[in-house]
Amino acid sequence: MDKRKIGTLAAVAALAFAACSGSSGGGGGGSKGEIEIWSSLPRQGSSKAQSDTIVNAINLAIEEKKGVAGGYTVKYSDKDDSTAAAGKWDEATEIKNANDAVADDKLVAYIGTFNSGAAKLSIPILCGKGIPMVSPANTYPGLTKAGKGEADEPDKYYPNGCTRNYFRVVAADDLQGLAGAKWAAKLGAKNVYVLDDTELYGKGIADVFNKEAPGAGLTVLGRDGIDGKATDYKALAEKIKATNPDLVYFGGITQNNAGQLWRDLRDAMPSVKLMGPDGILEQEWIDAAGEAAEGTYITFGGLPADKLTGKGADFVKNYNAKYPNNPPEAYTAYGYEAAGTVLAAIEKAAAANPADTLALRAGVLKAIAETKDYDGALGKWSFNQEGDTSLTAMSGNIVKGGKFQFDSVIE
Amino acid sequence: MEELVKALTIGVTNGLIIGLIAIGYTLVYGILELINFAHADVFMLGTAFTYFATELIVRGLGIPASSTLALFLTLLALPVIMLMTAGINASIERLAYRPLRNAPRLAPLISAIGMSFVLQNVGLLLLGPSQKAVEPVLPRTDLVFFPSGAAWFGIDEIIVLSVTIPLLLALRWFVGSTRQGKAMRATAQDREASGLMGIDVNRTISLTFLIAGGMAGAAGLVVALYYGQTFFQYGLQFGLLSFTAAVLGGIGNLTGATLGGLFVGIVAAMSDRFIEAKWTSVIVFSLLILVLIFRPTGLLAEQQSERA
Amino acid sequence: MTEMVRAPRRTFPNPMAGMDDRRRQIVILAIVVALALLYPLVYRRLSDAIPFVPWPDTAVLVVCATFAILALGLNIVMGFAGLLDLGYVAFYAIGAYTTAFLASNHFGVHISWWIVLWLAVAAAAIFGVMLGAPTLKLRGDYLAIVTLGFGEIVRLVFRNLGDITIALPAILGGAVLVGPNANLTGGNVGINPIDPPIIPIPGPWGNQLIFSNQNVIASWYLVLGLLTITFFICRRLRDSKLGRAWMAIREDETAAAAMGINTVTTKLLAFSLGASFSGFAGAFTGAYNTAIFAETFSYNVSILVVVIIILGGIGSLRGVVIGAFALLYVDRTLLPWIGDNIINDPMHDLGVSTGQQILTDFKLTTYNYLIFGIVLVIMMIRRPEGLFPDAGAKAEMHGVGIAAEVTGASEAELTVLGELEEVELDDAPDPDPNAPAEPPSTTTGPEAAR
Repeated sequence: MDKRKIGTLAAVAALAFAACSGSSGGGGGGSKGEIEIWSSLPRQGSSKAQSDTIVNAINLAIEEKKGVAGGYTVKYSDKDDSTAAAGKWDEATEIKNANDAVADDKLVAYIGTFNSGAAKLSIPILCGKGIPMVSPANTYPGLTKAGKGEADEPDKYYPNGCTRNYFRVVAADDLQGLAGAKWAAKLGAKNVYVLDDTELYGKGIADVFNKEAPGAGLTVLGRDGIDGKATDYKALAEKIKATNPDLVYFGGITQNNAGQLWRDLRDAMPSVKLMGPDGILEQEWIDAAGEAAEGTYITFGGLPADKLTGKGADFVKNYNAKYPNNPPEAYTAYGYEAAGTVLAAIEKAAAANPADTLALRAGVLKAIAETKDYDGALGKWSFNQEGDTSLTAMSGNIVKGGKFQFDSVIE
Repeated sequence: MEELVKALTIGVTNGLIIGLIAIGYTLVYGILELINFAHADVFMLGTAFTYFATELIVRGLGIPASSTLALFLTLLALPVIMLMTAGINASIERLAYRPLRNAPRLAPLISAIGMSFVLQNVGLLLLGPSQKAVEPVLPRTDLVFFPSGAAWFGIDEIIVLSVTIPLLLALRWFVGSTRQGKAMRATAQDREASGLMGIDVNRTISLTFLIAGGMAGAAGLVVALYYGQTFFQYGLQFGLLSFTAAVLGGIGNLTGATLGGLFVGIVAAMSDRFIEAKWTSVIVFSLLILVLIFRPTGLLAEQQSERA
Repeated sequence: MTEMVRAPRRTFPNPMAGMDDRRRQIVILAIVVALALLYPLVYRRLSDAIPFVPWPDTAVLVVCATFAILALGLNIVMGFAGLLDLGYVAFYAIGAYTTAFLASNHFGVHISWWIVLWLAVAAAAIFGVMLGAPTLKLRGDYLAIVTLGFGEIVRLVFRNLGDITIALPAILGGAVLVGPNANLTGGNVGINPIDPPIIPIPGPWGNQLIFSNQNVIASWYLVLGLLTITFFICRRLRDSKLGRAWMAIREDETAAAAMGINTVTTKLLAFSLGASFSGFAGAFTGAYNTAIFAETFSYNVSILVVVIIILGGIGSLRGVVIGAFALLYVDRTLLPWIGDNIINDPMHDLGVSTGQQILTDFKLTTYNYLIFGIVLVIMMIRRPEGLFPDAGAKAEMHGVGIAAEVTGASEAELTVLGELEEVELDDAPDPDPNAPAEPPSTTTGPEAAR
């Protein structure tokens, strides 16, 4: 009987010892336990090439901190918001990601989404539980700004009085569309024809261009929506040719047959200027458009990777060293910056010694909202009250020799 | 006026291509009463093969894309590509449709849908998820001009016409005047009786699939060169239009398929040009429905008695 | 006793047949009901307790149930009435958009979802008639393309009316009738948010019970309820005079007309009733997702529902429901799980070592449709009647008519599936060697589907 008692005591003691020692000095440095960061990006279909680079960038950011932030071990989960069937983001999948995020108490930040349409769905869901969402690539203005989209935006994304939880490190399309109009005027165009791919991003930015054009001194000759699933645009190109524009502006993304559109436009009008937004600022687009891409003017809501200086240039160097087969695309540095912002916020929130991960999350949300003069790869910038970045430098890029080349900064 | 003619020209060129694909649907339907969902995906593979051929010629062999040699070699690849797609189509018949020859109508239809999925994924594996531009091997220089100086059509349209029209005519001749063509027509009319008359039904059906596949391959080459692109989902995009064309003309009727193709092509071009591109599909389908309300078997179909 | 059971079946149930069968069925039903009601509550604990098993999570089950409702609806059109409909997604869209119009900020109309549900059903039913009417004279395969066309037209109209300007041409004064740039349907930008159904009773869920994607468990019970209602209505329809009229039309329309069935009304009723269930599904989806976009309602969804009912067993109610759950589960849970846990990583390593980019990036879910395609082809060749067919469909698919029942001849002797290479008069198995005068259609009566 004594032996059994001793045995039991020994077992209990062993367990207690194990439990105590488990909570301090666990694996790799993060002594306060584990927290999670998720990203929700389209990992299938033609956006995969670019989302690959963004995921790589996030991983790089976390690795540079040795996987630890504020004393917590950071676990990164790369979630997919696309389906194989659609080959692009899918509502049900994004909603599921957001709801799964809400159910995970260890989650402190959500990096996403890539497509503005997906963000519309998850912002309200995450807002309800106070999960901060930092997007590296959403540019639809209505997500943060009033008066730029539908009448009830952006409040409808923050229902029931929840605190604003959505931030983006890239400038929105109201600025990029305006930049496009200004640049078009600077290039000497007087008459423009505007096209869009009828989707949220494309139509949104084309609408902005359309609206800003008269102010920039341009006359809009016509406005058409194309069908991304159509097989050719020859007759449409004839229609545009008949109006004799100096420049044709297309608001849209590569995936909506932008390559074919470019080919047919070029065939019909060999000397007209062609301009597009950053939806076509990716290598996949050049591959799809072939020769017709040459000489195209493309705006971007930021600076391209090779034009970054200081920490940005360091990032590009480190990134290329680690991922030589996936050269940075337009939004790669933005993924890095988003992750960096989140990690910095975790450090700040952890300093206040929150009781549990939920309290940490609240602290992270507050810290991100208060991001001021953050010194990162994109420069020194802050988030404003609406969650937008203070960086507003837009770049104009031209396709030369089958590659994107930075042309100028558009103010 | 000139704009109208130009739009018409675009419509006719596109329409002939659609007609070439539609013929494949109509041939197979005529002989098996099967809507071959996988047909347009065979066409898509034709565009993919052409893409690889041009890549080989321009990147592999280093021949400049704008040279006549490149064009010549690509056109030389036409019969090869047609043979490959013909072979693929006939194999599909052997694998997925022949075992269902006597099953009720839905079974081979679903099998065709299944094969369509499979071929699309093959295309995905070969091409990746994005559209891919084909090397600009086809010269685009305008040759014929309007009185006002505007361009009417050029070498590219001529080449498209000189591939599609002879093929359509050759097919017409084959089906109309040769023994095998007669066998095809007989089998299409009454499979059992043809068998009784000594026609090798299986061989005739295989031949039909070979021809349909070859047509699809040719259309694939033309599209890859003329539109300049290949895409693993081309089957969906072209298939819908071509199948509409086949039904419009009267499914089972060869001339009908060509006519249907021209109709669809011209309507689409006119809609793109004079209305708005985003309404084109709505207009094409609405016209299809209207035509079928007034002529339930299509524009040219002979009134067949209802099969039991 | 066995002789009686194997006699030609009439179209009313034989109350004496298989009492044990009945008991077994009740037990199975009880298990299924218990599972359906309890699973969402224990899901988390189950998946924590027994990891490394692909437990479907409740959100996936909700999608399964939505497709099950759609499948039951299409089953009426294709399975009962034999009308080949490839554009079923149109009615789904109508249901969803009706809900969006009447329960959101879009037009500022906020009718309670519980009422909008029935309005959506009505709208879908009306559209069923409208879309069915022009197709009455069309033969099977022409019907396919027309329905497909309708499906596309509905989607494109909803997309395009997001930005519509209708103006008189300049010659007539150029007055703007609609717009400019009127946003009638939201287009691809979508309508968001949509008011979800609410029960204003406080409880462990807070002040109100909201059935949206933020409360998946509640939504599951809601969609389960809708599915149950749909199932029971379909069953009553199948066993009714209308159901038999549909089957008569399916077997032989000319004969049915000759027997006095009004083919026009019967077909229209098939379309309209079939469509009305997608009103359920559409209303639920709009509320659950709280947003809809035109792009969702594409041709792929129509094809998916067709594949579901064929795989599940066309004509069989149980079959299509099981088919929906099985297919969506495999697509959304099983294949991703197999990919994440079994295949993707080894493929990745293989790719890194052989330098093949396509292997390094390998993700099993990219090839979902490849797998489905192969399964479809194999299924059709080996088991075209689907996984859970009713006995009549099975007999029909294998070319075995009432002869097998009556003569006791084996299926192998009578089946014509895949046996013929050439039609030879001497050896051709006569499918109805001792066929009685009745047409084989009686085997496909409702009794066969127990």
